[in-house]
Amino acid sequence: MDITFKNVTYTYQPNTPFEHTALENMSFHVKSGSFVAIIGHTGSGKSTLLSHLNGLQVPTEGEVTIGDYRLSREHKPSDLKELRSKVGVVFQYPEHQLFEETVEKDIAFGPENFGVPESDIKKRIEKASRAVGLSPELLKRSPFELSGGQMRRVAIAGVLAVSPEVLVLDEPTAGLDPRGQKEMMDMFYQLHREEGLTTVLVTHSMEDALKYADYVIILNKGAKYMEGRPEEVFTQKEALQKVQLDVPEIVQFLTAFNQKFHTSIPFQKQSEKELARSIQQVLKGDEEK
Amino acid sequence: MENKPLIQFKNVSFRYNDKAPWVLDNVSFTIEEDEWVAIIGHNGSGKSTIAKLINGLLFPQKGEILISGKKVDEESVWEIRKEVGMVFQNPDNQFVGATVQDDVAFGMENRGIPREEMIKRIDETLKAVGMSDYRLTEPHRLSGGQKQRVAIASVLAISPKVLILDEATAMLDPNGRKEIMQTVSSILDERNFALITITHDLEEIVQADRVIVMNNGQVWDEAKPRDIFTKKEALREIGLDVPFVAILADELKQYGIPLPKEPLNHGELLEDLWTLHLRT
Ligand SMILES: Nc1ncnc2c1ncn2[C@@H]1O[C@H](COP(=O)(O)OP(=O)(O)OP(=O)(O)O)[C@@H](O)[C@H]1O
Ligand SMILES: Nc1ncnc2c1ncn2[C@@H]1O[C@H](COP(=O)(O)OP(=O)(O)OP(=O)(O)O)[C@@H](O)[C@H]1O
Ligand SMILES: [Mg+2]
Ligand SMILES: [Mg+2]
Repeated sequence: MDITFKNVTYTYQPNTPFEHTALENMSFHVKSGSFVAIIGHTGSGKSTLLSHLNGLQVPTEGEVTIGDYRLSREHKPSDLKELRSKVGVVFQYPEHQLFEETVEKDIAFGPENFGVPESDIKKRIEKASRAVGLSPELLKRSPFELSGGQMRRVAIAGVLAVSPEVLVLDEPTAGLDPRGQKEMMDMFYQLHREEGLTTVLVTHSMEDALKYADYVIILNKGAKYMEGRPEEVFTQKEALQKVQLDVPEIVQFLTAFNQKFHTSIPFQKQSEKELARSIQQVLKGDEEK
Repeated sequence: MENKPLIQFKNVSFRYNDKAPWVLDNVSFTIEEDEWVAIIGHNGSGKSTIAKLINGLLFPQKGEILISGKKVDEESVWEIRKEVGMVFQNPDNQFVGATVQDDVAFGMENRGIPREEMIKRIDETLKAVGMSDYRLTEPHRLSGGQKQRVAIASVLAISPKVLILDEATAMLDPNGRKEIMQTVSSILDERNFALITITHDLEEIVQADRVIVMNNGQVWDEAKPRDIFTKKEALREIGLDVPFVAILADELKQYGIPLPKEPLNHGELLEDLWTLHLRT
């Protein structure tokens, strides 16, 4: 589904002494089927932006459109259920979306709520829990008797079980162990491609944004600061540092290496292996001299 | 300076109830005053359970835990909790104050810290985590990363003997994480306390003095970060990984570049490559 923000402003607690504008005059477009990463410093408005995608928050000014849905102050759709069956959101803290007695019931909640036939639900639970690496013996447990990373997996499984068309992920790998982080991102990416999903990912990992996203939007203090393809955005060190962000680690290393060795190895999304090879050639070049 | 054992785990086993499997199995280790220990391990390996045992939220069924030589049990637990500051994985579970500044004050009130000192520490710690502008905000109205910053300020303010950060910076951007950990470690230099960080962040592990690696409820290894990171394949088998520099160093070795040591950061690796370059 296409997503468009048109001059969106969102203010928390308007007309009170605590009034706080978290998004200001934000406009951008996400093409259906693309994988967008949203990046920004603490408090820059990322989670606020995401909560507009399933109508949890409605713009104070401006308009958000998601497929055929229009969300604005004048245009609050009376029924958000259909939108929510199409837009699955994994929240920043998994506990916020767990509430059932058992893990199994928690994963089943979404599909049941959206009218998936009973006969299908069991299959969906199985498939979703396998996708997130949740071992079957945890299904009968209370979701609150789990480790942090296990809770995260349950929360993600609950969203996958609904089979959404738009996947909205707010730091979905926080709390996962390194293997879990990689497997989860690979799984999202595979789903994204196979099912033709539109994916919006909030992440602090420049590496993940570089690896999976085809488009990046950088936020600063509630406003859009930069946007573009990851390899364009992530090589602009100064601009990023101005908003307290850094280039990906491989770019940092490459820049430092080029400076020290007076070389100009370009950044072209190379792997560590490819980088090692370029370095070896620089050192080997030495020997031949 | 002489180091004293501050935390001792002696053959500790724990399970959440009689029917549940053991989640810690004969765990023993010692953490000294003035030490920064990182605890790492796959999801469900028992890290947070260890943290909850240290401050007496849970008690072991087997073995014993000593803090400053005193056994953690129902009797000593109230005294011990005053010495142990802990930031939980989800900060929402620990906010008690109506405003950010009330929240930071709460732990100090419980410990009878005089009012002037409290005011001073509220200022200092909120400044240290970059949250001075939010003193009067209600904690539940903060962003994810702002919540973590406030939770850290609240434990720093009580100046505990043992500071446990359970994935307390997971929602921060890499720069924010670095800044906060620098703040915490500079406080560690000034005062004597033990810092335990439970983390999946490979960069954070590098800074610790020692690493305890948990696997399925058991201590899998205990070593300096540099030594841990030489075990790449074994770590990967138990769901963990090594940082970017360690991966790159490994690839360089595959290409026959004889690095003299396991580099811990960009600077060390660049230096070693430069030395090789000069020698040729
Ligand atoms: N309240 C509870 N009741 C029953 N079992 C629990 C409870 N809390 C945790 N467990 C189980 O104990 C084991 C260890 O959990 P713990 O929270 O210590 O793991 P962890 O290493 O902190 O994992 P993570 O990296 O995911 O936070 C897990 O298998 C978990 O399912
Ligand atoms: N319920 C709320 N009421 C009032 N202000 C809020 C509320 N939630 C968030 N804010 C404020 O709005 C701003 C944006 O918050 P948001 O949660 O969107 O940030 P974020 O970019 O997701 O940050 P993080 O990386 O820390 O999660 C912050 O300054 C925050 O304090
Ligand atoms: Mg957020
Ligand atoms: Mg944990």
